[in-house]
Amino acid sequence: MSAETPENPNQPPAPKKKGGASKNGSIGLLPLTNALKAAAKGDFSARAEVERLTGESAEVAALLNQVLDQVANRNTEFEARKQQTVQVVDQALDALIALVRQGELNRWTSSNTTDDPLLGPLLEGFGKVIETLRTFVREINEAALRLSSSANEVLAASTQHESSSTEQAAAIHETTATMEELKHASAQIAENAGAVARVAEETLESARSGRGAIGEFIQAMQQIRADSAAVADSIAKLSKRVERIGTVVEVIDEIADRSDLLALNAALEGSRAGEAGKGFSIVAAEMRRLAENVLDSTKEIKNLITEIREATAAAAGAADASKSATESGEKLGSAAASAVESILAGVQETSDAARVINLATQQQRTATEQVVASMAEIEDVTRQTTQASKQATGAAAELTQLAGRLAELIKRFKAD
Amino acid sequence: MFSLGDLQLGVPSQNVREVTRMGPLTPLPRMSAAVLGVVGHRGEVLPVVDLLRFLGVGELKPSPRARIFIGVAGSLSAAFMADSVIGLRKVFTADIWPAPVTGHVPAELLLGIVTTDREGEGAINLLNLVRVLQSARQRAVAR
Repeated sequence: MSAETPENPNQPPAPKKKGGASKNGSIGLLPLTNALKAAAKGDFSARAEVERLTGESAEVAALLNQVLDQVANRNTEFEARKQQTVQVVDQALDALIALVRQGELNRWTSSNTTDDPLLGPLLEGFGKVIETLRTFVREINEAALRLSSSANEVLAASTQHESSSTEQAAAIHETTATMEELKHASAQIAENAGAVARVAEETLESARSGRGAIGEFIQAMQQIRADSAAVADSIAKLSKRVERIGTVVEVIDEIADRSDLLALNAALEGSRAGEAGKGFSIVAAEMRRLAENVLDSTKEIKNLITEIREATAAAAGAADASKSATESGEKLGSAAASAVESILAGVQETSDAARVINLATQQQRTATEQVVASMAEIEDVTRQTTQASKQATGAAAELTQLAGRLAELIKRFKAD
Repeated sequence: MFSLGDLQLGVPSQNVREVTRMGPLTPLPRMSAAVLGVVGHRGEVLPVVDLLRFLGVGELKPSPRARIFIGVAGSLSAAFMADSVIGLRKVFTADIWPAPVTGHVPAELLLGIVTTDREGEGAINLLNLVRVLQSARQRAVAR
């Protein structure tokens, strides 16, 4: 090509040289021929030696030299332009290769232009494409960076959510367990309160029967007091009778004593009368024995009377003591009655309170059971939430990875 | 027979006129300690002798059932106090033992000692009431 291209514009002078050489004779036209031969070979630097020629030949040689100069100039100019074009195309190729191989977009600058009317718009378009790509890459890079940071944030948030959700699940589990315990405790309380109410009921029953018993006791005490008063009365009467017996016995004693003496003296008289008074003496002795027996008996009776007197005195004392004892017993009984009354009131209150507690704890138990059920539902939901947040965390992690990979990929394109 | 303090004494029945209860006693001044006083009995004024003091073996403690027997020996008579009269006993002369010289009661005032076959009755000092009355009179006069 390089050989052809300069030939075309030199065609017109070629026949001129040929004609000149052939016309100017075979000897004297040698410089022209040489120059033309060189030109024909593509060497436009060779010149016809005008000094060796003369005349017309010299003129032709001068013209030939002028033509050759012009051709050489044009050739040089063409070579320069070609060089430039090649350079620009090389640069474009270079940029393209860099883009393809390394993602390098910075090789091409907008200053790379050419005057070539054909190549210029192509290069311009190439430059625009590169520029567009660069902008694109830059934006993608920025977006990838943002995406990465956002994905990181999402991952962090998701992780936090997961951990807090796990904590929540644990807390809910604990709360459920506590509520379960509370349920058991309230059941226990309800049971105990029921037992208290039952015991209070029994106590109430016992206190009521105790009240009745105390009433009977007081009545019995009053009866005993009346009886002991009657006993004291009877004892006083008995005492008087015994005194009377004592007087009678004294009289009998006196009589017996006198009889004794009489008998003794009769026996004495009988013994003085000798044999005749013997029978009399015997009778008198018998009389005396009788009198002594009576004396012994009265002595016994007197002892008995003394004993009876002591016994009646003791009985009177006992009756007195019994009277005062029954009086204090009555007082104690009424005190016990009032105590039992207050016990009754207290037990009634206790019973009522226990019943109220029982009712309240039953309600509490129901409420606690509802809470436990709700807590179970919440636990279920929380478990699902935890599962979902785990999945979200996994997805966020994947997203972060993907964003990093995207950033990595886009980094291959160097756009700055 | 009668008891007096710790002693059981006996007097022959011919020396005893009557047994009676103690009447109101009228003390006499300047009399022997053995004579407690005088007592009126059936229009007669009799000295009352505490035999325990008389025999020098103690002192009489008056009891409500105390008796006096009126002893007589010849023209002499006196009331003797006794705690109680045991009763009449028939004693044979052969059963009378001589009084021991070392007994509580001076032997010259006793006829002797008798034992009865009845239970609860030990040896009984049988008083020689004639001598007792004489001795008492002598003592009263000696004063």
